[in-house]
This record gives sequence, structure tokens and C-alpha cells, in this order.
Amino acid sequence: MSEAIDAATTRPLRPARNWVLIIGALGMVSLMTWWSARGIGFSIIELACNLPGGRRLLVESWPPDWSFFPRLLGPLLETLQIAVIGTVIGGILAIPIAVLAARNLTPGFLVWFVDRNFMNILRTLPDLFWAMLFAAAVGFGPVAGALALTVFTIAVISKLWSESLEAIDMAVPEAVRAAGGSWLAMLQFGAIPQALPHYVSYTLYAFELNVRASMILGLVGAGGIGMVLETQRSTFEYPRVTLIVLSVLVLVLIIEQISESIRRRLI
Amino acid sequence: MTARSTLPPAAGMGWATQVTLFIAVLFLVCAWAIDLTPAALANLPRQMVTVLSFFYPADMEYGATRVWPALLESIQIAWMGTIVAAMLSLPLALLGARTLFPRIARLVKLISATARAFPEILLAIYFVPIVGLGAFAGALAIGISSVGMLTKLGSEVVESIDMGPVEAVQAAGGSRLLALRYAVVPQVMPEIVAHWLFRFELNIRASAVLGVVGAGGVGGVLLNTLRYRHFEKAAAVLLLTILVVLIIDMVSGGTRRRLLR
Amino acid sequence: MNDKAAIRFKGAGVVYPNGAVGLAGIDLEIKPGEFVVVVGSSGAGKSTLLRSVNGLTPLTDGTITVGGQPVPKKEGRELRRLRAGVGMIFQDFRITRRLTVMTNVLVGRVAHVPGWRAMFNLWPAADREIAFKALERVGIADKAWVRAGDLSGGQQQRVGIARALAQEPAIILADEPVASLDPVTTHQIMRDLVRINEELGITTVVNLHFLDLARRYGQRIIGLRGGELVYDGTANSVTQEDFKNIYGRDPDAGDVLDEREAS
Ligand SMILES: Nc1ncnc2c1ncn2[C@@H]1O[C@H](COP(=O)(O)OP(=O)(O)O)[C@@H](O)[C@H]1O
Ligand SMILES: [Mg+2]
Repeated sequence: MSEAIDAATTRPLRPARNWVLIIGALGMVSLMTWWSARGIGFSIIELACNLPGGRRLLVESWPPDWSFFPRLLGPLLETLQIAVIGTVIGGILAIPIAVLAARNLTPGFLVWFVDRNFMNILRTLPDLFWAMLFAAAVGFGPVAGALALTVFTIAVISKLWSESLEAIDMAVPEAVRAAGGSWLAMLQFGAIPQALPHYVSYTLYAFELNVRASMILGLVGAGGIGMVLETQRSTFEYPRVTLIVLSVLVLVLIIEQISESIRRRLI
Repeated sequence: MTARSTLPPAAGMGWATQVTLFIAVLFLVCAWAIDLTPAALANLPRQMVTVLSFFYPADMEYGATRVWPALLESIQIAWMGTIVAAMLSLPLALLGARTLFPRIARLVKLISATARAFPEILLAIYFVPIVGLGAFAGALAIGISSVGMLTKLGSEVVESIDMGPVEAVQAAGGSRLLALRYAVVPQVMPEIVAHWLFRFELNIRASAVLGVVGAGGVGGVLLNTLRYRHFEKAAAVLLLTILVVLIIDMVSGGTRRRLLR
Repeated sequence: MNDKAAIRFKGAGVVYPNGAVGLAGIDLEIKPGEFVVVVGSSGAGKSTLLRSVNGLTPLTDGTITVGGQPVPKKEGRELRRLRAGVGMIFQDFRITRRLTVMTNVLVGRVAHVPGWRAMFNLWPAADREIAFKALERVGIADKAWVRAGDLSGGQQQRVGIARALAQEPAIILADEPVASLDPVTTHQIMRDLVRINEELGITTVVNLHFLDLARRYGQRIIGLRGGELVYDGTANSVTQEDFKNIYGRDPDAGDVLDEREAS
């Protein structure tokens, strides 16, 4: 018993909580939420008032206008073509960009620094922004879409793959260098083979994203099924919109299933 | 390395060569189909330089008066969508964990997969006529598609935890709810909040494009400036967007790294 | 000592859904305040035996009574009430590493306070006192506000023991509590368990793999093999022959802790 009483005197006080941090974080989150809710007119009442209209829309959107389907086949194919081109060109261009951005492989700090920031800036702009820019530069159509997806692909793959490259085992690359191999030889025989499965996996992943993105590029005039979607949407042909959305979803799901099953086998 | 070992060795031409050839042919067919000729590609850099020269100087007055408010609205859309999605996805992530609720989990996974399948912008196409043009439609679209993604990622985090403490709470006479409270939630919370932040970073980009279909934010501004070929104004949109996204990525990414440490 | 602390197995058996036999026809009586060590090779049914006492693994045959009450076979309020009075200690500690030591120990009070208080982490002062006493009994009160995951293995197991003690249980079940600890810590933890049994009179059932530990710390030794009871006697009377019967082979160096320590 005396043992327990001795111990009682050593009971530590509960350390004070970091109230500044807790209140600061909670305050920030509440403030942002309040500001956002006000800014976007977040109101349940508005939603409730509009619901009848919404029901009418949903009723009108169903069933889809199946007779429209034959006219979708061409644009759907074009969509896939855009995705393939964007993935292939982007996938190739991503290789040097990823290598130069990998800390352990880059030939110099300045190259690394410039490349890294270039990569980050590419990542800031969403796919549709690139599509709008290229549509303005080369005119409306699938070429603008393919170029937009090229940039988007570079952004996705280079970021992910440069991280894989940084995680490789440097023993072999260093051995190649020690044996008098050039920087390129070091990459080709020492570094890249190790991270090749990752490269393939990320490229497939980018392809999935591209198929998804290519469906909506047409909303800003960059080719593919999205252009049909845009015309039907702006004339409120919702049965046709529903048909387009459904076919897009099915196509995306099919591509994703195939791509995922390949990726699972790779890594 | 692993790639090689899992695929059967091909006689004669290696499988890698075959795949590369196949992709090359596929690429050429696609390029031919959309009229992407070598000449057009060669012409591209010159074209880009010409167009880019129109972007200078950026019209920063337009930036301050029109672009900045639209960007703020994009941030508000992304924030609200993320907050609502986070709140909804937390219970769903628990219910969607096979290890905790084997039966309900299948249903939850199905629902979240459906929500995930729709890109935000397709959802927005439906919400705009329902709730009217503007930011609210955007926030709803972002919220719903984020719920799908956050539920999936959250369930994966829950499924990866150590189930020992869960049983320990129950062995002490605690209910399932208390087991969630003291054994599951503390284990998963940092990862789940990190996913929220990451989703917020993605949602900033997503909300920026929603304006294209009239769901508020900066996308509509860019579309209009480019449509009327006001390139100096478009330059202001791009500059400000890049700046804001970079800053948010930095703050959010830093917070995530601290959480997971 | 009260009768709440008695455990009675009558024809108890467990067959797992995959057909594996966990326990078969166990008849056993454990008296209040006893310190019982269960030995047997891996897969003999030691864990199944312990887990059937608090219903973590429900019986498929026979009955178990704890303090005269049959152990309910379904999850629910009845079973939770029974578990509240039975502390459990695990080989892998099973504490929540990201919570403080104190919160982990307070988990031992979940069934003793109103649900909403437990839910919102609003523990009555009396329960906090009990938790602190439990920590003092295992000698880590100074670590009360440390993150549990930052402690050493031996300290983490003490958190597990303190959590069980905080239940103010009539019975403690310890499933290979020292199997993930080094030899020195092993002896400290075993001494803690014996001391707690002597000071508080809590009925204690400990699963152990090592023979010498069983003989050194157990009053009564129970041997399991293939889910069946093959030995039941005092620690002093157990012979080499009995061990051979329990393990189905001659005991070797792997079955003795201090041999390992020496090597
Ligand atoms: N959850 C379970 N599902 C199926 N079989 C199990 C399960 N748990 C234990 N068993 C089987 O029951 C038998 C007894 O296991 P256990 O009680 O864990 O033994 P011990 O603790 O002595 O190593 C073993 O044959 C084991 O394979
Ligand atoms: Mg066991």
C-alpha cells in the first residue's frame, strides 16, 4: 500500500493542450466554411424551391433517346483517338522531364530546379484549361484536345515517376558510372530498368485519366464526344444528354477495367 | 523486373518489342484519323509562339476586377464541396470497411463507386438546370463526386488498420460504437484528414473548370476571354489561377506532411 | 474473494466454421482467486479456451458459467456486462498507439460509465482515479500522458495490464502475455501478474508457451492438446512425463525460456 502512495506523488500533471493551435485551426475551418457558404449562396431553401423543376428535368431525361446512338459512334471513337495520342506523346515527353526532376539522377541542381518548377506549374492548370488554350491556338477540333492531353499526361506521369526514380536502388547506376559509363548509359542500364514497371503502370493510369478527360474536352471545343454533349446540352435535349453520359460512363468503365487488370499484374 | 517475370517469354521478337510496335501503329492510325500530320506538328511551335505573344502583357486590371472574384468563388466551391463530402464520407468510410461491417460494406462500396464514376462536370450538367446557374450547382457536383472518392479511400484506410485494439475495447465490455471511437477513429484520422486535404487540392482544379457549363467560378471567365480572343485578359486568368493553386497546394501539402509524420 | 470469480466449463467445445476443432469436451472448474497457467503447443486450443470465457469465441457445444452466470452466445448487452468484469491481456498488447496511455487505460472503464460519457471522453473523476491507480500498480504512472505507441514493448504490455485492472475485474485472462517480450521483461511482467493476483485476489488464467515459466509462476497447471484437457495438477507435481504427454514429444530447448536466454 505504501508503494502506491509513494507513486501517487509522482503522478504527472496532464500537459496543457495547445489551445492556440486547436482554436486557430477550428477558427480557420469555421471561417472558411462560413465565407464559402455565403459566397456560393449555399441554401437548402433554394434547393427545396428548385426541386420541382429538378424533378421535371429528371423525368424528361429518362428514358435516354436511343435513336441518337448511331450518331455517337464516330465522336466516341474520336475521343479514344485523342486519348491515345495524348498518352503516347505525353508518355514519351514525360521521360526526360521525370529523369531531370529526380534528385538522384539529375545532372545538376539548376536543371533540377527549373525542371521541378516547370513540372509543378504544368500540374496547377486543369485539363480543360489546356484544352481551351490549345483550341485558341490551333483552332477547334481534336488536335487541340490531343495537345491538351499531352500536357496533362506529362504532368501526371512525370510527377509520379520521378518519385519512383528517386526510390530506386542506386548500387547498379553507380557501378555503371564507376565502370566509366556515361550519364546516358547509367540511365539506360542502371536506373530506368528498375523503374520501368512503374513507368508502364503510371502511363496506363494516365491513359485512364485521359479517356475520362477526353470525354469532356469537347465542352470547350477540343473534339470528341464532348462537342456533341455541348450542343445537346445547350439546346436542353436532356434525353440525348443522358444517352451521351451513359455511353461515356460505360466506355470509361470498360477502359478502366482493362487498364487496371494490366496494372495489377505489373506491380 | 517484375513485369518481365509475370509475362511469358515470347519466341523470336520479345514481347516488349511487340507491344511497342503495336502502340506505334495504333498511334499512327489515331494521328491519321484526326488529321494530326507531321506538317501540322512541325508548324505547332511557331503557332504557339505567335499565340503566346498575344498573351503579353497580362491585363491585370481585368485580373483584379473580374478574375479575382471568380477565383475566390472557385475556392468557395471547392471548400464547400470538400467540407460536405468530408462530413458525409466519414461515417460512410467506416460502414464501407469490409473488416468492420462485412454486409453493409458491399452496398456502401457500390454506392461510392457509382458516385465516383461521374466526372464533376457531367454532374454539374444536371445540377445547373435543377438548382440554377451558379456556384451552388458546382459545389453539389464537387461534393457528390468527392464523397465517392473519399469514401473509397477512407474505407481502404480503415481496412488497413490493426484490428487488435477493436477487439480489446469489446473485450472490456465496450459496444461496437465505442470500439470505433477508441480503436478505429484514432488510428485512421490523420490519414483520412490528409485525404480530405488532398481532395481539396484536386477540387480547386475541378471547380476552376466548372464555369464552362455555367456552374460558377473562374472557368467561365477563361472561356469567354478566349472566345472573344481577349488574350491579355486570358493571361490574367492563367497567371492568377497558377498563383492561387500553387499557394493552396503548398499550404495543404505542408499540412498533410505534418499530419502523417 | 467472491463467487463472481469462479469459472466452470461443462462439456465445452468449439468447432470453427472451417471445421477446425478449437476445444473438445472440456470439463474444468477454476476457483476464485486461483492463478492458473495453461500450457500446450501451438494450436492446442489455449487461445480458444480463454476467448470462450468472455465470449469472444462463442462455444458450439456445452456451457461455460462465470460466477454462476452462463456466458451468452450472442453479442449484446448481457455479454458486455459479463465482459466488464473480465479483464483481458493480449500477446500483441492491443492498445491504440496514437492515444495517450491514460486514454487507453480509461478504455477499461467503458462498461462502467454512461455511454455518452465514454463517447465524448468525459470520464468522471472517480474513474480517472481508478485508471491512475491501475497505472501506479504496474509502475508507469509517470507515463500517463505519453502517446502509448512511444513506449517500449514491456511498457506497452503494462498499459494493457493497467487497462484490464481499470475494469476492477473479478477475472483476468492473459493470452501469451509475454510472447513478444525479451526474457528480462518477461519475468517482470510475470511477477506483476502474480503480485496482482496475490494482492487483489483476482482469478488469473494465463496462457504460456514456455514450460519453465509455467512451472515457476503457476500454482495450478492445465495442459491442452488438440483442444482436449490432458493435464490438470499443481505446478510442483508436474513431471517431465506429463510435459511429454502435453506436447506429444520430448520438450526441447524451444520450449524453455531460460535456455534461450543462455544461448
Ligand atoms: N478464427 C479461427 N478460424 C478457424 N480456425 C481457428 C481459428 N482460431 C483458431 N483456429 C484453430 O483452432 C485450433 C486451436 O487454436 P488456438 O486456440 O489459437 O490454439 P493456441 O492458442 O493454443 O495456439 C487450431 O487448430 C487453430 O488452427
Ligand atoms: Mg494462441
